[in-house]
Order: sequence, then structure tokens, then C-alpha cells
Amino acid sequence: MAALTASPARPRTVPADGYRAGVAGTLRSEFTKIRSVRSTYWTLFLLVAAGVAWSIAYCAGEASRWASMAPQDRLGFDPTQSSVVGLALLGQLVIVVLGTLTLTSEYSTGMIRTSLTVMPRRGVLYGAKAAVLAAVALAAAFVTSLASFFIGQALLTRTHVSATLLQPNVLRAVLGSALYVVLCGLFAFGLGAIIRSMAGAMTAAYGFLFLVPQLAKALPSSWYADIDRWLPGGDVVNAITNTRQVNSNPHLFSAWSEFAVFGAYTAILLVLGAVLIRKRDA
Amino acid sequence: MIEASNLTKRYGSTVAVNDLSFTIRPGVVTGFLGPNGAGKTTTMRLILGLDNPTAGTVTVNGKPHAQVPSPMHEVGALLDAKAVHGGRSARNHLLCLAQTNGISRRRVDEVLGVVGLSDVAGKRSKGFSLGMSQRLGIATTLLGDPEILMFDEPVNGLDPEGILWIRNLMKALAAEGRTVFVSSHLMSEMENTADHVIVIGRGRLIADCSMVDFIARSAGQAIRVRTPQPEALARAVAAAGGRSAATAEGEAGELEVSGLTEQRLGDIAFAHGVRLHHLAPSRASLEQAFMELTADSVEYHAGLPETRQPAQIGWEN
Repeated sequence: MAALTASPARPRTVPADGYRAGVAGTLRSEFTKIRSVRSTYWTLFLLVAAGVAWSIAYCAGEASRWASMAPQDRLGFDPTQSSVVGLALLGQLVIVVLGTLTLTSEYSTGMIRTSLTVMPRRGVLYGAKAAVLAAVALAAAFVTSLASFFIGQALLTRTHVSATLLQPNVLRAVLGSALYVVLCGLFAFGLGAIIRSMAGAMTAAYGFLFLVPQLAKALPSSWYADIDRWLPGGDVVNAITNTRQVNSNPHLFSAWSEFAVFGAYTAILLVLGAVLIRKRDA
Repeated sequence: MIEASNLTKRYGSTVAVNDLSFTIRPGVVTGFLGPNGAGKTTTMRLILGLDNPTAGTVTVNGKPHAQVPSPMHEVGALLDAKAVHGGRSARNHLLCLAQTNGISRRRVDEVLGVVGLSDVAGKRSKGFSLGMSQRLGIATTLLGDPEILMFDEPVNGLDPEGILWIRNLMKALAAEGRTVFVSSHLMSEMENTADHVIVIGRGRLIADCSMVDFIARSAGQAIRVRTPQPEALARAVAAAGGRSAATAEGEAGELEVSGLTEQRLGDIAFAHGVRLHHLAPSRASLEQAFMELTADSVEYHAGLPETRQPAQIGWEN
């Protein structure tokens, strides 16, 4: 056994005076972590595939029905929303998996103990994880939203209503659908930090994003009208991707305001997660 | 140097670590002994700041671990070899840890070589045997070339070759002047590795002394003899003021003699014309002494002869 004799020589890796392990190294570390497991590639592939597939299926379908479509329907047709809403609707399902896995996989494998041993400043570790998750999710979601948009518009060319990025609200919808996906990832990440079990965090994330908005519909309609704009998930997708005012739900805030509401929920979860990860035993 | 003072950790109503104070010094291997559930792992978690103490403090080179500027360069710890993400390759696992402390890729490859994992560096660690996982864990501790190394039950489940490798590695690390702190629930393992022992039971400190002292005291003066004339020897021993008893194994003609030196026993046998086929100090009692010590620390403490405590043995209860 060659290793038997080869004990490491005395300090060779000693850091420069005043070196302090911090944010930059931890960001690099977290990027290495996220790029070195297969689940990242699977979820990001699914994200791209789901967004683009929706755009192709939906826009091609609408284009072929265009000739027989009633005039009101043509008027209400939103070519931008048709192409990017799939990213938001399906992408949130997918990104929740990546968001919860980012932290809960460290707890389920025990890796968190090793991570905190080498980087005991928990806030730094937590922040770096969230930042890298957000950056990776943003890159994938933004590419997907642009691809979905352009592919969708190409398929809609023969309807002569296809959108361009420079038309009112179009860029907002394209950007917004990607940012919504990123927020969903962070929303799930925060829940992962609070709940620490993958199954629990995913159940909670889907519960908040899908179940709560559905259950709210059982409320008396006047109550629902008051509550709808405050719910996470659900109608936020509609508000953010809609480029026409015709279809818009009158009870909702404006697109960016709805986005801010969901962002606030995400921020609350992230802060709660940060407090708990610093306080609890690992 | 690791210093704990009045360290206490409660989980609900369970007291895992109870008012523990000790200092782990550089240049020697310090064995951390206690039966399963004695609080060894909890103590190590407290040292690393993974758990917050209920009371008391513990410092690493004078600072709480969370405030150490570059943790990997000061402490390398292996608590659980399987605490890795199995989907990551060995090299990427080490790289992601190294990057937090600004350690280079070159060092990652170097350390993979030191532990003998270069050939499987690109393989996902979920396929690793326990021995390979232990090596990967040890590679983690060596990355920053730290002054302090901690290993929790590092030889558990290893084959003899792996045990020998770890034993030699720990000795070599201590010989380089590092602080090596290693836990075990097997006295026999520590006997061959540790220079100093800290024994805990039920979260309390039972012994903090050098291994030589521990052996000298625990093994006592028992001598194992084999003779074709056991009755005659037993009478002679009794007449000389010693005690003899059948050995635990109950082998015919074997006796365990206490209260006499080896030289005196041989002389007595010669004087009485008793033939001896075997005469040796009894070492089997070391593991037994450890078990008695930890089985009930309070009783053991009460029965301990005060006069035989060397100055550096700190007995606490």
C-alpha cells in the first residue's frame, strides 16, 4: 500500500496571512456542488424541454385552429402568453425539485455536517447556496423563455398576430416567466431549509403553489376576489405572462405587483430558513 | 489544541454530554474512549460547532470553531465516512470542500494520491466500499494540512490492512507535531495507537491520563501461569500472601495470580518444587478494566485506591 508511507508533508497549503474563508470560495464550492450531480442536469433538461414543448404544442395548435377561430377569440388571443406560459406553469413543478434538493440532499446524505465543518459560517453557506441556485435557475429559465418565445412566434407567423419583443408588455412576460421560475426555486429552497426533508419540503411547496390557490376557490366569491391577489402561485402566472388587458383578472394587482407579492413570500421563507439554519443543530 | 470547559449538551431530557472539561494537546494521539452512546460523537460535534452546547465552551486553537478564519487549515474532521453525496465523484467531492477554503485543485489530486484513491477519483462515491469511503473521509481532513485532526471511530468496519493503515497514519500525523484526537469504543484498538486517553461514560469524564498509566493501573499485577500442579502452587501462593484464582477461560492447570511480582512467583514455585509451563503478565484484563470502568463510573470511582493515582491522572465524576 503506497499510501502507508506517504504521510503529508508539513504545511504547504497554509493560507496567506489574514486569509479568511468566505463568500467567494463558498460560491465556487456551491457551483461545483450543483454542477457535479446528475439531478441538476435532469431537472434543468426537464425545465427546458417542458417550456419549449409547451410552446411548440400550444402555438402550433392555435395556428392550425386560427382559420376557424371566432373573432372574439382572435381578439383575446395572446401570442406571447401562449408561448411562455408553459415555462411558468410546468417549470415551477420542475424547479421546485431542484430548489428543495439543493439543501435537503445535504441533510439526507449527511453532507451538511461536512459542509459546515469546512465552512462553519452558516449564513455564508446558506447565502451562497441560494445565490448559486438562483443563478443556475435564471440562466436555464431565461434561455428557455427566449427559446419558447421565438419558437412559438415562428409557429404563429401565419396568423399574422405573432408578437415581437418590442411590443408593449412582451419583454415583461418573457422575463417575468423566467423570473417566476427562479422565485419558485428559491421558494422551495427556503422551505427546504425550514423543513430539511425533501419529501416534506416538496409537499409543502406544491401545497402552497397549487393546493392553496385551488382551495381558495371554494371560498365565497367575494372573499375569493379579495384574497386572490395575495395568494402565492396560482394567478401570479397569469398576471405576469399576460400582455393584453382583455383577459386580465380584475381582482389581481398589476403584473409586477403580483410578482412582488410572491417575491415577498419567498423572502419570508428565505429569511426564516436563514434564521433556523443558524440556530438549529446541524 | 482543543480545550473544553464544563461542556454540557442536553437533548430534551437526555444529557448526552455532562460537564466535560479537557485539553487535547499537540504531538500525541489522544484516544477518546467510551462505550456506544457515551457521548463521544456529540462531544466531537460540539467541538466543530455542529451542535450548540447547552452550557460550557469549547475552543479550537483558542477560538470557537465558527470563528476560525480558515477552518480547513486548522481542523480536519472525519465524523462519518458515509456523510457524502453519493452522486458526486470523489474528486468533485474534495474539490467542492477545498474551494470553500481557497485550496487548489492540485492539492485535491495530491491528497487523493496520499489516501490511494487516484484511480477511482472520477467515480461516484456511492459505489465505494466502507474502506474507500474512510479513505475519502481522511482525504477530506488532510486537504488543508491542518494542525488538528479528529476522527470518530475511524477503524469501524475496516479490514486489518485498513486498520493498520489508519493506525500508522495517525501516528505519523502526531509525530509531525499535530493534535490527533480519535474516538473508539475498543480499548484494544487504542492501546496500540493512543499515547493519551480520555475516557467518558454517560457523558461524564471518567479518566484523562496517559496510556502507560492507564495500562499500568488497569492491568493490575495479575500474572497468568500454567502448571501441572495447580493445587500445590495455589497453596504456596497463599502462604506467600498472594491470591490465585482459576482463569476466566477455566483452562485446567491455568491460574491467575495477583499480589505477587513475576519474579517472586517464580522463586516461590522453584522453592516448592512446582513446575511452571507458562508465566506472563495478564493483559486480558485491560479490556475488562475498561468495561468495568465505563459500565458504572460512580461505583468504579468509589473503589479506586486514591494512593495509586499518578499526579497527571485527573479523575472526575
